[in-house]
Order: sequence, then C-alpha cells, then structure tokens
Amino acid sequence: MKTTITAIATTVALGVGLGGVAQAQDDSILIGVQVPTTGSEATYGQDMFNAAELAAEEINASGGLLGREIELINGDSACDPQQSVNAAGNLVSRGVVGIVGGYCSGATLPTLKTYGDEGLPFVITASNSTQLIPANPGNAFMINSTGADQSKKAAEFFESQDIKRLAVIDQGDSYSQDLADLTVERWEAMGHEVATRETVNKGEQDFSAVVSNVRSSDAEAVFWTAYYADGGLMIRQLRQGGYRGMIAVGDGSNSPQLFDIAGGAAEGVFAFSNPTAEFLPEAADFIDNYQAEYGQSPGPYAPLNYDGLKLMAWAMDKAGTTDPAAVVEALESTDGQSWLTGPIRFTDDNTLARSNFIILQGEDDAWTFYAN
Amino acid sequence: MPAFETFLQSIVNGLVLGSFYALIALGYTMIFGVIKLLNFAHGDVYMIGAFVGFGVLSLISGVVGAGWFGLAIAILVSMVAVGCLGVIIQRVAYQPMLSAPRLSILITALAVSLVLQNSALSLTDGKYTAFRTDLGFGGFELGRLFISHQAIVLVAIAALLMIALEFFVSRTMYGRAMRAVSIDKDMCRLMGINVTRVVAITFLIGSGLAAAAGTMAGAYYGSIWYFMGFLIGLKAFTAAVIGGIGSITGAMLGGLILGLLESFGTQISWIGSEWKDVFTFAILILVLVFKPTGLLGKSEVERM
Repeated sequence: MKTTITAIATTVALGVGLGGVAQAQDDSILIGVQVPTTGSEATYGQDMFNAAELAAEEINASGGLLGREIELINGDSACDPQQSVNAAGNLVSRGVVGIVGGYCSGATLPTLKTYGDEGLPFVITASNSTQLIPANPGNAFMINSTGADQSKKAAEFFESQDIKRLAVIDQGDSYSQDLADLTVERWEAMGHEVATRETVNKGEQDFSAVVSNVRSSDAEAVFWTAYYADGGLMIRQLRQGGYRGMIAVGDGSNSPQLFDIAGGAAEGVFAFSNPTAEFLPEAADFIDNYQAEYGQSPGPYAPLNYDGLKLMAWAMDKAGTTDPAAVVEALESTDGQSWLTGPIRFTDDNTLARSNFIILQGEDDAWTFYAN
Repeated sequence: MPAFETFLQSIVNGLVLGSFYALIALGYTMIFGVIKLLNFAHGDVYMIGAFVGFGVLSLISGVVGAGWFGLAIAILVSMVAVGCLGVIIQRVAYQPMLSAPRLSILITALAVSLVLQNSALSLTDGKYTAFRTDLGFGGFELGRLFISHQAIVLVAIAALLMIALEFFVSRTMYGRAMRAVSIDKDMCRLMGINVTRVVAITFLIGSGLAAAAGTMAGAYYGSIWYFMGFLIGLKAFTAAVIGGIGSITGAMLGGLILGLLESFGTQISWIGSEWKDVFTFAILILVLVFKPTGLLGKSEVERM
C-alpha cells in the first residue's frame, strides 16, 4: 500500500511538471472527467462523458473559458476503487486543473485523497453516499443529493399527501436500509407513526407475509427503498394481495423495467428520482443537442454531469484563473447558479443545500413527471 | 386486521406457498426413493420449467392470449419438455454414476445444478425476465381477508396434479413398479421389472411437476430469473425431509406444513419477515434432531 502511494505520488509529481509544459504549449484548459467508461456501469459513464463534452463544446463555441479552450481528459474509473485511483493519478499527472464526475461512490471515495493532496477542485456529479462527506478534504463538491435528502423528500411528500401511517420496506442492503432508516427517523421526528417496518431478503420471491403485515398494520402508504427488480415484485404482490393504498419507491427503483415486472400493478406508483433529462423543463435543448450529437437519449446522470462541467467553468471564470485554491474558493461561494438540474448552493459539508430529487408517477407503464 | 382475519389470511398465503413447495418436494422425494439420490439440481429444473413456460406463453399468446387457457397450455408443454429434460439429465449425468459411491453422484447433482443455472444465466444475462399474463388482480374480499383468483386456481391445479400422482403411484402398473423399485432395486430386476425405465419415468414425472410449479410461480409472482430455483429448491428439500424423504404423501404434507409454518411464523411480531429462512431451516434442524425419519418416513432397516 505504502509503495503504491509513493508510486502514485511520484507519478503525480512528475506529471504535474510535464503537464504544466504541455498546457503552456497548446494553451487549453485541461479538465478531467472521472466516469466509468468501461465495466458494468459503462453505459452510464459514457452518457456522463458525452454530456460533459457537450457542455465543453458549448463553452468553447461561445469564446471559451478565460480566453482559452476547454479540453477534456477521460479518467476511466471502471466503477472500481483501484482502477479509479490509477485513473486519478493519471489525470493529475496530465495536468488537469479540475475534475468533474464520480459515479460509483465506492470508486469515488479513494480518489478524494488523490485530488485532495493536490488541492484540485472536484465536482462530484453522481456519487451520493453519505460516506463521502467525512472523507472530503474540502476540495470536493457534491451536486447530487444524498440519501439523507431523499428521505427528507420522501417524508415531506407523504406528509403533503395526508398520510398518517407509513409502512417502510427495505431489502437489507446498505443502500436501501440506510434510506429506510433515515426515512423512519425523519417520519417519527415529524410526529407521525410508522405502521410497520419490514425487511425482505434478496432473491426472495414470495412477499405474502409482508403483504399481510402491511394490510393488518392499516398502512396508508408503503415506501419501498430498494431496487426495481424486487420492487416490481413487491408492488405486484401488494396489489395482488388486496392492498389499495399509496405505494412509493426510491431512486433505485426508477427503471422502466419496474413496469414489466409489476405487470400493470405499478399504475399510480410514485418514485423519487435524480433529475433525469426528460423530466427537466430546462433540458429540452440539451436532449435535442445530445440526440443530434450522439444518436441516443441521455442517460439518467447525464444532466448532472453537464451541470458539473458548467459549474466548474463558472467557478474558473469567477476566480479569473485556474489556480486550484482560487477555484475551490469560487465553488464554495456558489450561490444558486442553475443550469439543467436546478440551483446549486453548498452546505458547510460541500453537499447540495437543496434536495434535487423529483417525484415521478407511473402512468400507462411509464414514468411521468409529478412534482419537483 | 383483526386476529381471526390475519389467521385466515395466513392460511391462504401458506397454502399458495405450500403448493409450490409440495410440487417440488415430490420430485425430490420420488428421485430419492428410486435411486437414493438427493437431486440438488431439482430446484434448477424448476427454474428451467419457468423459462420454458414463459417461452411457450410468449409464442402462443398472440394466438390464444395470455389468459388462463394460454397459461394451461404453457404449463402442459413445459411439463412435457422439462420432464424429457429430466430424463436426459438422468441418462447423461446420473445413470453412469449409479454404481459409484453415493458421494460421487451427489457431487454430479451439484454439477448439473451449476450447468443449468449458468446456461440460464448466459441466455438471460442474469436479468429478471418479466412474466406477463392477462390474469389481472381480481379476487374475493371477505372483510379484510383477500383471496385472489390466481391463488385459488393455482392451489387447485397443484391439488389436481398431486391427486393424479397419487392415483398413478397407487393404481397403475408403473406406479407399483416405482414403489417396488424404491424398496429393492436388485430384487425388482430379478423379477423382470425394467428398472431403467421406471427410473426414467420417475425423472419424467418429478421434473414435470417441478416445471408446472415453475411456470405457475412465474405467472403468479410475475418475474423469473436464473437463480430463482436455488432457495426454493432448498426449501422443497426441507419440506421433503420434514414429511419423510422417500414418502410421496409425506412430501405433499411436508410442503403444505412448511408453507403454513412460514406464513404463520412471519406473523409472529418478534420474527420479522427477514427471518423467514432462518425459521424454516431451524425447523429442519429440529425435525432432524427429534424425528430424523420425518413425519411419515419409515426408519430404514439395515439388511444383512
């Protein structure tokens, strides 16, 4: 481990020098985009890289940044901690002055130190684990809302719908359990009652026991906090078991496949979701441009990455320099700058002050926008 | 929900779950009966049955729709096709191992399980496949007790299949031969019974029943995937052991008991539903400790 760090540090030190030379030659501003363009999450990562490229092209077309062109460098994290540390070292060595991206929280976590040691500004666009917050040396900024924000959004939504008794169901993994716990905590703090709190096992097909517990608990709403595959089954069995109340699902269940599996039972189901392009009123041009450029629709995290690059450019413009310390300072002063996904302002933790989750509703086997 | 309605609802839930367990447990118990093999690939045969049923239903739903009629055809075709697959598995993987030590054939069964699972994995990329039918979500509501039409039909089909099997085993020539083979294979051979054919028929029927359960589970729960056979296979094995492995009535009884126990067990408020599997396998251990032959099993007498 020690030798790895030394090796990276050496590469970094060498690289900064070389990068500086390269930068002086072609005079473009190098920004690293840390996304997984290979591996299991490659499609999401490619979407994110494309979105950043689109943002960079727009800036370059309108005169560039500080009179120079932006040039993006792909730092493929492959959603793997080791690979992402290597990629981060590589980006630093090529002389980037800022980094945008971060998809898998687990792969983003170790890079915080690499960039932190250099003091480089890092706009984290998709990773949203609350574990990133204490590990942040102060140069990273998260523009995606965290699980804590989602639970708040959920609890407030249920309250606004006049729900008195809420059932919360998770699947025992860290993502869904965390979201469920946070929601229950907040819901009780708001003075409401949790009708029942259930956990189901992964790979389990029969949820009849949970369904009868939910029914006998007189729950008016059910919140499923885990992923779509079992979420579809759960929704189906709740309806099949005679449950007629409200059903809502977390962002992990925001998938068109949910409707396939639920087989018509997901009509009217609510979902909390990251801002995906098709539901953002500001993103119409973005979708058109993206379609024209890449021949497909932007994935769920593309708008966040687009905003990430625009935010970075805005901060450099405000600082009037690409000096890392000045740019980090400018990012801290971000005050409601808004592109596709809504206004950005940071808390003392460098997380988004405002939750950016939107609420979707199932209609005719597809998600439709319900509320902000 | 008042206690009495909860009680009735648990019975309904338990019957549905128990029907699946019983249908799969029958295969375990029959195969164990004739060749003394714990066929750990049986859960995966159930999974293959679900995929075959799904394939058939997708093919014919344009013609006959995906309602009850279409589903009945899917179940029948899947039963026949997967029954034949069971025979092929027996011929290819188990037949050559019959005279080998018991452990070798058990490991072969695990290998077959992996082959089936990984074939399904590579064909479906490990994704959940949505099993769409037009059966709807209707049902009877009595107070707060809810019994869906699907649950009723499903339990009825399972009961019908089990009655047919019981008839087959007790009244037909091959049924009698099957029982005889399970008692003493060598003696049967001496008496002129075609043991190989009896074993093949056992695999045909056992795998067919698992395929019926798989297809019905797919239609009932709405999604199928390559790993769906693993846990339910273990549960059905548990059911077979509870009922007394080797006993056909025991497997039916064991399946129903396990289904009911699970459904009532998870209603006990201090056992959350996530403890369901722990609860099931704790019962398996208790049965093994206090009545190792199972409820209807006969203790085996060592013959000299």
